[in-house]
Amino acid sequence: MTTTTTSGPEALLSHLHSADGSATFSYAGYTIVGAVNGPIEAQRRDEIPEEAVVDVVVRPAAGVGGTRERHLEGLLQSTLRQIILVTNFPRSLIQITLQVTVAPENEYVNTKVVQANTNLPILPALIQTAVLTLMSAAIPLTATLASVVIAATTEDGSNREIINPTAREIEKSRSLHVFAFTSHGDLILTQSEGEFTMQEWEDMLASAQRQCCPSTSGDVNMGDDAASGADLGTFTRSVMEAKIASDLYWK
Amino acid sequence: MATQADKVYVLPGDEINPALIPSHPKHPLRLGPGLRHVPPSDLFPTTAGQLVTDRRKNLIWVESNGGRYIPAVGDLVIGTIHHGAADFFYVTLSDYTSNATLPQLAFEMASKKNRPQLHSGDLVYARTHGPRAGVRVAKHRKGRGPGPLSEGMLYSISLGMARRLLMRKSAEEGKVVVLDELGAAGLAFETAVGRNGKMWVNSKDIKTVLVVGRAVTETDEKSLTVEQQKKLVRRLVKEMA
Repeated sequence: MTTTTTSGPEALLSHLHSADGSATFSYAGYTIVGAVNGPIEAQRRDEIPEEAVVDVVVRPAAGVGGTRERHLEGLLQSTLRQIILVTNFPRSLIQITLQVTVAPENEYVNTKVVQANTNLPILPALIQTAVLTLMSAAIPLTATLASVVIAATTEDGSNREIINPTAREIEKSRSLHVFAFTSHGDLILTQSEGEFTMQEWEDMLASAQRQCCPSTSGDVNMGDDAASGADLGTFTRSVMEAKIASDLYWK
Repeated sequence: MATQADKVYVLPGDEINPALIPSHPKHPLRLGPGLRHVPPSDLFPTTAGQLVTDRRKNLIWVESNGGRYIPAVGDLVIGTIHHGAADFFYVTLSDYTSNATLPQLAFEMASKKNRPQLHSGDLVYARTHGPRAGVRVAKHRKGRGPGPLSEGMLYSISLGMARRLLMRKSAEEGKVVVLDELGAAGLAFETAVGRNGKMWVNSKDIKTVLVVGRAVTETDEKSLTVEQQKKLVRRLVKEMA
């Protein structure tokens, strides 16, 4: 198995029959199966009188979820709530289940799972899967999302940014950051770990913005940076267009 | 129907090219599913789909398939009676959603003394009436009129298929001819299609019910073209005889 960060994203949409919407998304060594059900009836004790409840469940590739998954669920829930039109569905529930099926092989050393010391690298893949699944379920959204992981390392005394770093690179990095942007170019999620200065963070924010929303930042030339990963926004669009075209073959 | 040469696909939150939004001197602009108006004058898609406009009637909407049925006022739906109460029936429109209410007096010819006798599991063909999916039985122009559906069989179809079957000219606009072809092949049957992805089929001959149901679900699942639909019908009718 050779899953490297340079392999392009792949997605399969609406392949689960009993779920309202589903997607399998592979990117940067992760493969995640997502399913969305909703809007359905919320439990009386959970319901919000004028909004929909968004429930996110993350299940790891091996074993049962723990604090790491709860943390990711919390981050995803508060992010997705911002783009789902929750006020359209009062007293109902939108349930998002994300099952990790493949994690990068670097997380295993001598076939033993290394307790991952960071939660962040999987976030972009989870966010992307969730957005594709929500669109597959035709849940009304205000925007789509794009996100990126950036690691800051010090090599030979000089600072460097690595977009979509490998597990080894993350281990060596000084700090690790995740940024997510809406398709309107607004920053919606930022998570950072490690040591960094405010100036470094701002530089990374700028390069994340270039990576996630090339059109809004005015920099369209993607070929200048060999380290940059695939443009997830364009990818999402082409995947969805292919799906819509096959759904509406009769039009 | 849309007359643009190239199809416009949109994702949630995309900007819509103002040239694509129809304008009409008399009719107000009407938004169909999948669009959101942000006052004062912004228009955003909320679902991924194909942008369709009707310049004559000044309509714009996003056509897509899939997802769960979200009730909208005026939709014809097939509901299952969940339970009855003093003045209402509680009706299930899709699995795991809150029940819709159906007043007992909404039925044709119903009065305080003469109430419809429906039990849990019975089907009704009805029109959605208000927010929170209150359902009312109303008169309908063609095909099976609203009211209780007895006997027959219920099939689940995709929301897109239901929409195509409910089109006034389902053969020309929706490119679905199975039902017409089956009728032309000499089968006598009755159908009712609910916008919530349900199709009810009834006939005196049980074989016919199964053939009709199979023809439509297969057309839906395998995305058959008009020619393939005709071929399928010929095959099914041949197998039946």
